[in-house]
Amino acid sequence: MQPGPSSAPSLAQTTSRANLAGWLYVSPLVLVLVPFFVAPILVVLAASFFATDGFGGLTPGFTLASYVEVLHSALTLKLYLATIKFTVLTWVFTLIIGFFVAYFLVFHVRNQLLAIGLFLLCTVPFWTSNIIRMISWIPLLGKEGLINQALLGAGVIRQPLEVLLFSDLAVVIAHVHQLTIFMIVPIFNSMARIDKKLIEAAIDAGASRFDIMRLIVVPMSKSGIALGTIFVVSIVMGDFFVVKVMSGGGSASVVSAFYEDVGVLQYPTAAASAVLLTLVLVAIVSLILRTVDIRHEITR
Amino acid sequence: MKSDRGDIELAGVCKSFDGVTNVVDGVNLRIADGAYCCFIGPSGCGKTTILRMIAGHEDPTAGEIVIGGQNVVGLAPVQRRTAMMFQSYALFPHLTVRENIAFALRVRGMSKADRLRAADAMIEKVRLTQFADRLPAQLSGGQQQRVALARAAITEPRVLLLDEPLSALDEQLRVQMRQELRRMQQDLGITFVHVTHTQLEAIALADLVVVMEQGRIKQAGAAREVYAHPHDRYVAEFMGGQNVLSGRVEKVNGVSFTLAQAAPSGIEVPLQARSTVSVGDKVDIAVRRDDVVLVRSGKELPPGCTNSLPSRVLAIEYQGYFVKVMLDTVPDDAFVAYVPEKTFFADPFTVGDVVMATWATGSALPLA
Amino acid sequence: MSAVLADMPETVAPATTKAIAPSKGGRPWTFYVLATLFALYVLALYGPMFCIYILSFQDIRGGLVFPMKGQSLHWFIDLFTQVRTGDVKGSFDRSIKLAVIVTIITVVVSFLAGLGFRRRFRGDTVVFYTMIGSLVAPGLVLGLGTGLLFQALGLNASWYTSALGAQLSWTLPFGVLVMFAVMSRFNHVWEEAAYDLGASRWQSIRLVMIPVLAPGLVAVALFGFTLSYDEFARSLQTAGSLNTLPLEIWSMTLNVTSPSLYALGTVTTIVSFIVIGASLGSIVLIQKKRGSNAKG
Repeated sequence: MQPGPSSAPSLAQTTSRANLAGWLYVSPLVLVLVPFFVAPILVVLAASFFATDGFGGLTPGFTLASYVEVLHSALTLKLYLATIKFTVLTWVFTLIIGFFVAYFLVFHVRNQLLAIGLFLLCTVPFWTSNIIRMISWIPLLGKEGLINQALLGAGVIRQPLEVLLFSDLAVVIAHVHQLTIFMIVPIFNSMARIDKKLIEAAIDAGASRFDIMRLIVVPMSKSGIALGTIFVVSIVMGDFFVVKVMSGGGSASVVSAFYEDVGVLQYPTAAASAVLLTLVLVAIVSLILRTVDIRHEITR
Repeated sequence: MKSDRGDIELAGVCKSFDGVTNVVDGVNLRIADGAYCCFIGPSGCGKTTILRMIAGHEDPTAGEIVIGGQNVVGLAPVQRRTAMMFQSYALFPHLTVRENIAFALRVRGMSKADRLRAADAMIEKVRLTQFADRLPAQLSGGQQQRVALARAAITEPRVLLLDEPLSALDEQLRVQMRQELRRMQQDLGITFVHVTHTQLEAIALADLVVVMEQGRIKQAGAAREVYAHPHDRYVAEFMGGQNVLSGRVEKVNGVSFTLAQAAPSGIEVPLQARSTVSVGDKVDIAVRRDDVVLVRSGKELPPGCTNSLPSRVLAIEYQGYFVKVMLDTVPDDAFVAYVPEKTFFADPFTVGDVVMATWATGSALPLA
Repeated sequence: MSAVLADMPETVAPATTKAIAPSKGGRPWTFYVLATLFALYVLALYGPMFCIYILSFQDIRGGLVFPMKGQSLHWFIDLFTQVRTGDVKGSFDRSIKLAVIVTIITVVVSFLAGLGFRRRFRGDTVVFYTMIGSLVAPGLVLGLGTGLLFQALGLNASWYTSALGAQLSWTLPFGVLVMFAVMSRFNHVWEEAAYDLGASRWQSIRLVMIPVLAPGLVAVALFGFTLSYDEFARSLQTAGSLNTLPLEIWSMTLNVTSPSLYALGTVTTIVSFIVIGASLGSIVLIQKKRGSNAKG
């Protein structure tokens, strides 16, 4: 007996019922995302095309003047270069530290309870204030900070190093300090899922420690690395606070310039630069998402 | 309350998940009230889907499911008065044995005292009293199975549906729980529908064995009927215990026909009521493995045996009370004899021996 | 991030088949190298924080750097009494209230969305990627957009309207991602069994899903609370005239150069630890309760 004509609508009915149920469940989420994510982004997009009187007043219209201004400004290039520099440096350091910390916890700590305990030890600061964690570097890195005191005391230097605080170095240190956890957690998760038998099989097959790392651990942690990268890159590129405080005003990023623009009521140029930044961010994130299906990854 | 009868009738039941292929394809079946019915087939044959449709966890794409004279399609499990025992049991991990068993009564709004009393009575019945306060994770597989059974039975369903109930257990426990299932079914006096892929389980338990392939029923009948008189090659091979030979019909006389074979004089097969053959037909026949007698070449065939297949011993497996001898016969590569242990060791064969495989002529069975 | 806390149930009863170090043979040299790296990481992670906790207990002569000058609670008192340091008490109060509201909404909405995303439905990918977009978008930009939107609509921005929404656009994606990981451990057959036994949709959620997923829901709550309590970029343009605590700290970092700042750090950290402790405690308690009948 073939599925008769009567069966087709019933199949369609069940799928439409499933669609309705799905939308009902996510409707509260959508009701938040639309007014507080989609609409604001559209507002910024719209503002980027408006003209301004220079005092915060916006004239609805359509002009590309702001984009022209942003793209022609030598400052823009400088800001992007600075932002990319911070992003790449932070990414590299968080990735290296995060990968090896996760690797240590998963493959070198034999007692599983201890491994999970140490893992939690790494995650605790995540739940405390980021701002406080950032300013906590002041007593260490400052001109009269612990590091300078120690180096002076040891006779390594004669003048206190000024480059430690309120510098690009300090910005990267603060970022790495805050964001390494975003690498550790997803990488730890992917690594913990690697079947121990695979490693044993590789050892049986004569693989060296390096081979195992290269051929098994790294490929199988890829999704964790991708997920961590999304977090780190999007946070660093969207940051203005760390740059502003830790560089002591000496450096700027795209978003900190945006913040200044907003401060002087230059809404359209600010909006234009925000739109450009968002496009760059979307490009990077979607590039990463092509390599990993995070929805599948998380529900696995 | 409508009917208390638990007889089930499936009429033209089809199920398709994608609208293209039918996972269950036109199944018609009648299961008597109080019967123990086993669905058996390889994975993906649609047996679990049928069970879930009877349970009310899937709706058929077409056809009717009638329980106790009432079409139940579209009704919830509670309204059908069926209960299901899930594969690997699906016991609620956060509830104790007592709370698990009382769950159905709780959602029906029964007072706490009443439902715990009822649960305790059921716990006693499945002999779990001392484990009543444990969580599922703290029970053995067999105990978990009894909890699952008790949880399903407490609502006094008219049909109990069991999805591979023994697959999570080890061999010894499986045999033991088999008996327990049968005892429980007789105690409750309700219809059991049981899905399995183990032949032994099906024929040991069932009043009605239903063999399935690719969404269709290949044969349904009493266990002995299905095992000893398979309809066709598929059933014979799936149920096991049979050698299947095929060939063309060479000649037909009133009571038997002869199958052309590489055997010296063809194979004589008795004509049975259901088989009508004519010369030139391609026919499958089945010979039970325990009917096969092995004779060293050159020796006399036992009385009543007219057919013989010259063959070579390919492998020998000791199985305890019998010995499984695998033969390399000339026409078909797989031919197996189950030789009783004592017979075998009176004159043991070794691999490579040349033997004649023979059987009482009347025991061969033509297949559809 | 997500699966971490979902993993926590296992911390109590580790019965996993996960790949942990091959357990044979002596420690390889890499163990010592990586152990050193790990120790340095933990030191760098906690060291600076402990510095400011210690420095916040200086007396009135205290400065922003070591050495420690005296010991007192002066800067804590200063923090809550001086006008110079702004409205710490009020913003503290608002932040806690806001975090509680955000937590409740995050748990409920994430749970529902988690239920919805278990099955595919038309348009689910759009919703999912919108959510990811909301997670990665620069917070300050979103905050400005929200602020402008409220302005355009003639609404007043305040911490309990625009800032609440802006924070939810940040906590919900996190909450839903954690929920995904939590849900992936829920065997849907339990739900089917409940239905088979006659439970209604609501009964199966209340009696089966919520209790089974309770530790995961606590994890979502922890995320909601701390992400909101610490949220800064999105609140900056949306909080209106009254500050939340992170905004207060921000303005202090620009104006205040006394250990008051550190004292505030110590206080917020204590609050964080209370919340973490309460969350972990309740997860352990749930697990304990489940295991308590074990000896029966």
